[in-house]
Amino acid sequence: MTMKTALAFFALSASMAAAQTFPDDLVERGRYVATASDCVACHTGPEDKPFGGNHRIASPVGDIWAGNITPSTTHGIGNYTEQQFADAVRRGIRADGANLYPAMPYTAFAKITDEDIHALYAYFMQGVAPIDEPSQQTTLEFPFNLRFSMIGWNLMFRDTAVHRDDPAKSAEWNRGAYLAEGPGHCSTCHTPRGMLMQEDGSLHLAGAQVGPWFAPNITSDKDAGIGSWQKDEIVAYLATGRAEGKSQAGGSMAEAVSHSFSKLTKDDLGAIATYIMDVPAIGGPARFGQGEAGNLTASFRGIESPDLSDPGKGAQIYSANCASCHGYDGQGTQDQYYPSLFHNSDTSGAGVNNFVAAVLNGVDRKTEEGHVFMPPFGTQPNAFNSLDDGQIALLANYAVAQFGDGQMTVAAEDVAMIRAGGPTSNMVRNVRILMAAAGVLVLIGTVVFLRRRKTA
Amino acid sequence: MTSSSQVIVVGTGVVGSVIAEHCLDAGLEVLMIEAGPRVSRAQIVENYRNLPLGAKPDATASYPPADWAPHPFHGLEHLESTGPNKYDPTYIRYAGGSTWHWAGTSWRLTPEDMQLRSRYGVGRDWAFDYETIDPYYNMTERKLGICGPADPADQWPVRTRSMPYPMPHLPLSQGERKFTEVMRDKLGLRNVPVAQARNSGMPYDDRPACCANNNCVPVCPVGAKYDAATSLNRLEAKGATILENSVVYRVETGEGNRIVAVHYYDRDKTSHRVTGEHFVIACNGVETPRLMLMSADDRNPNGLANSSDQVGRNMMDHPQQGYTFTTVEPYWLGAGPVVNSGIMETSQGDFRADHAAVYFRLNNFARNRDIAKRAMSSGKVGRALDEEIRRLTATSLNVVAAFEMLPDPNNRLTLSAQKDWLGLPRPSVYWDVGDYVRRSSAEYSNPLAQRIAEAVGATDFKPASPEKFSTSKHIMGGTIMGNDPATSVVDRHSRTHDHANLYLPGGGAMASTACGNSTITMTAMAFMAAEALVSEAKGA
Amino acid sequence: MNRRQLFLLGTAAMLANAMPSFTFAATQDIESRFMGASQLLVNHDLSPAVGARIAAFAQASYPNLGDMLDRITETAAARGASRVEDFFDAIPEGELRDFAFWVISAWYTGSSSGDRDATLFTYEEALLYQPTIDMVPIPTFGFSAPNAWGNDLYPLTDLPRF
Repeated sequence: MTMKTALAFFALSASMAAAQTFPDDLVERGRYVATASDCVACHTGPEDKPFGGNHRIASPVGDIWAGNITPSTTHGIGNYTEQQFADAVRRGIRADGANLYPAMPYTAFAKITDEDIHALYAYFMQGVAPIDEPSQQTTLEFPFNLRFSMIGWNLMFRDTAVHRDDPAKSAEWNRGAYLAEGPGHCSTCHTPRGMLMQEDGSLHLAGAQVGPWFAPNITSDKDAGIGSWQKDEIVAYLATGRAEGKSQAGGSMAEAVSHSFSKLTKDDLGAIATYIMDVPAIGGPARFGQGEAGNLTASFRGIESPDLSDPGKGAQIYSANCASCHGYDGQGTQDQYYPSLFHNSDTSGAGVNNFVAAVLNGVDRKTEEGHVFMPPFGTQPNAFNSLDDGQIALLANYAVAQFGDGQMTVAAEDVAMIRAGGPTSNMVRNVRILMAAAGVLVLIGTVVFLRRRKTA
Repeated sequence: MTSSSQVIVVGTGVVGSVIAEHCLDAGLEVLMIEAGPRVSRAQIVENYRNLPLGAKPDATASYPPADWAPHPFHGLEHLESTGPNKYDPTYIRYAGGSTWHWAGTSWRLTPEDMQLRSRYGVGRDWAFDYETIDPYYNMTERKLGICGPADPADQWPVRTRSMPYPMPHLPLSQGERKFTEVMRDKLGLRNVPVAQARNSGMPYDDRPACCANNNCVPVCPVGAKYDAATSLNRLEAKGATILENSVVYRVETGEGNRIVAVHYYDRDKTSHRVTGEHFVIACNGVETPRLMLMSADDRNPNGLANSSDQVGRNMMDHPQQGYTFTTVEPYWLGAGPVVNSGIMETSQGDFRADHAAVYFRLNNFARNRDIAKRAMSSGKVGRALDEEIRRLTATSLNVVAAFEMLPDPNNRLTLSAQKDWLGLPRPSVYWDVGDYVRRSSAEYSNPLAQRIAEAVGATDFKPASPEKFSTSKHIMGGTIMGNDPATSVVDRHSRTHDHANLYLPGGGAMASTACGNSTITMTAMAFMAAEALVSEAKGA
Repeated sequence: MNRRQLFLLGTAAMLANAMPSFTFAATQDIESRFMGASQLLVNHDLSPAVGARIAAFAQASYPNLGDMLDRITETAAARGASRVEDFFDAIPEGELRDFAFWVISAWYTGSSSGDRDATLFTYEEALLYQPTIDMVPIPTFGFSAPNAWGNDLYPLTDLPRF
């Protein structure tokens, strides 16, 4: 930067600061809303520059890069008016009019109240340090490279209604509903998506695969959901990332716990728990209470070249790689800091995907309780034991049979898919077919719809 | 097949790995050559678990050597020992080197430890003083992730630290706490937490926290302890090439006596030649001098770097004597890492003019495997047997006296007439711990050990024989450092006096042993060598 | 890795395989008799899989294994005993008493002897570690949350429940 431009920049910053000065308590409230919305998780890249963007989000249609949302006037959102900011957060429309991809959970953020948007704006303009560096641009395949293609999607799937309290429910329930469905955007991960990647409202919070991890059923179903959890267990899980004898947060839930939930007030966590416990139950395979301690070490211990069949091979991989922390019987440590693998949602049902994802990627979670860290077993530099797809499949099948519900089996191809970042959707193909076959119809329909709205 | 590189590092242990990373970070091209195999941690952990109980105390039993890269191993002839004492160090030739099975103990030297000649009239002074090495100790503590006490009252050495430890010290086990209190109250001795390369209460360097597996020796199952094997993937990610199962057997000189190439055998006994600009031989204090002697040529008929005739001489160690005793009150050792506290203040004093100083290490190995024989031969069965196992485990203590040793040119590594699998001469070491150590055992450490035993209420103390010493795995002296090329092999940067582009960093360069384990000092010297190498490469 | 990995032992398995005269049923029978005698000699829950490994070794080492197992069981029965304390003194000294000690030792140490070339039956389920499992880790297996060990001191007399 030359002296001249530096001076110009200073002048500009000074004039902007002079133009808009928000009270500190408003900025702090905005910080809290930003924490509840976990903006930092997606908008901070590996260089650890808060809100500077450059964070890659693996989506079923390709990599989407979260942008720089610092108040930088050159590369961030420093020039956004509050209305432009509100439209970006709640409607997915950038200041330049381009559509954001729904990797940005604006369908949930639409519920954020005007007061909270105002506070958020104050925080992002005044409480965040500007980073004058560009973020990576998103380049998707056709037709998703055409951002205006999101207009049709928004017409079909976006609900722009701001949260309203249900007078039949308690204040706590309503606060929880607001936090969970709005800023907390639980459904973004926990609700399965339809053919066009829209959330399937009939399966609200019933569990979905998100990249390599499976975001499980968190409805009030006693077996498949978390209906058997006590309120304080849910609060403890959100605060620390673990509920003893049930589940531990990994992947993006570990991030959500580290950056967001663990920093919310206990009252707000209680409110979220109250609401979540009341979400209509949707059934499925049981996730907790299954399995028991056991091992197959006698089939290979002290034998140079043991003749092992499948469970024995998996047991040997388990012993060599996992037992040092999770116990030779899968029992975990006595204090359960290193959790048992029986009575564990990762060894039953679709949770097995999370077993595989945890093995491949490790677990990394920071809360007031400390820094929980399980090393990865993929090909990372700090993977001291690097397991291949076949080995992880053997391991997962052993764990499911020995410690879990024995329902799912994992193939090497499944591991490869999770290693690659999760299932890719057929959406690219689906949409292209749709466009070819019915594109004209959609277009006509859109035009008619728009006309009607105009005339209405 | 790689046939040339800017920097060639022979050996992938802690010293070679730290230098390689420093060079990579400076933008240099690095090739690392490792004699032994590259194995997974999982394999070593299972090797250990598969050992019968009687073989488990042997730190190398979990590391069977490759045919082409023999190392000291039960039932295998590799290192010959002659002389009055038995020289029997444990080291392994695997990618990652012997930090695979180190305890992680990281005592710094004291200023006095580096000036034995000028202060006490014995041994040698170092080529530089403590203030010179202090910043490199700081770098080492950050690189390896060394935890240690934040309270100066618990720190060793007793002096103001220029930087804090990057992590707090690990908690003491019940037995270590009790031992510390008894030493303080009855003998006025400070038993202090060991500074150690182990992640304490937190992940560090992308490695997990220690969860008290109590198996640092022979292998940390989770990688909470630093060992050089944990850094190898990262070095490759930074651009290093690592050749394993490649045994360097000759270092070739050229014009101006500069090193031009190394020659290695692959596992099929095929020879390869690799040229380079800067050479680092970091194969430990036995294999490095052995390689220098094996590389003798017309320019250097007594071996490379050996115009002083000091290559292979001054071999040193921390000779050890162990005491196991039984107490009446339960102590309970075994929770936490295997070495976690010790008495260091007995390692300093004017008595060093007369006899060696000593460090008392309270081992924290779970005692079950060691008391098994006593319990099983007690004739007890049923509940009485279980109670006997519980009693013996809780009341059995193992304290080790580790002595410093003086450099003696007669303690010498030479090439044996015996050949190894590749046809290379095996190393042979003449070994005499010396009267300096024997006097200490008789006059200083044995009486002290007896007072320690009495203080803890031992019922069965037996003094150690002043003639019998076991070997630690702290190999020092064979390529000794000094400012005078006539009496030393390498200069203060671990660069050979004879060859401008040849570095021999590691324990071999150490001019005194003091009593503390040598790795942290070797690593600090590795940083000094790496800085010299990089500045030479950048200047060239 | 190489041939010197011999210490990883295959003796038990090899010996078992080298005894074709034992039919499957006979092997099963001896295993269950071995477990029966073991449960009289040792007051712990015993793993049948580990028992099968020890029994296979014992078959190769003790030609009169079945007979000795029966005599131990009968000695206990004659006393109406189900715990080792209540009948062990009735096992005659000599070969049978030595064998009984060997069986106990195999369960406790997980090894066929204290020699470094012994056969290993089990590591993690060797009973040697159970009387102290509340205080001391079985080496290689994690014991507690990071830096959370060493807080409580339990008396010698409080044996863990097996």
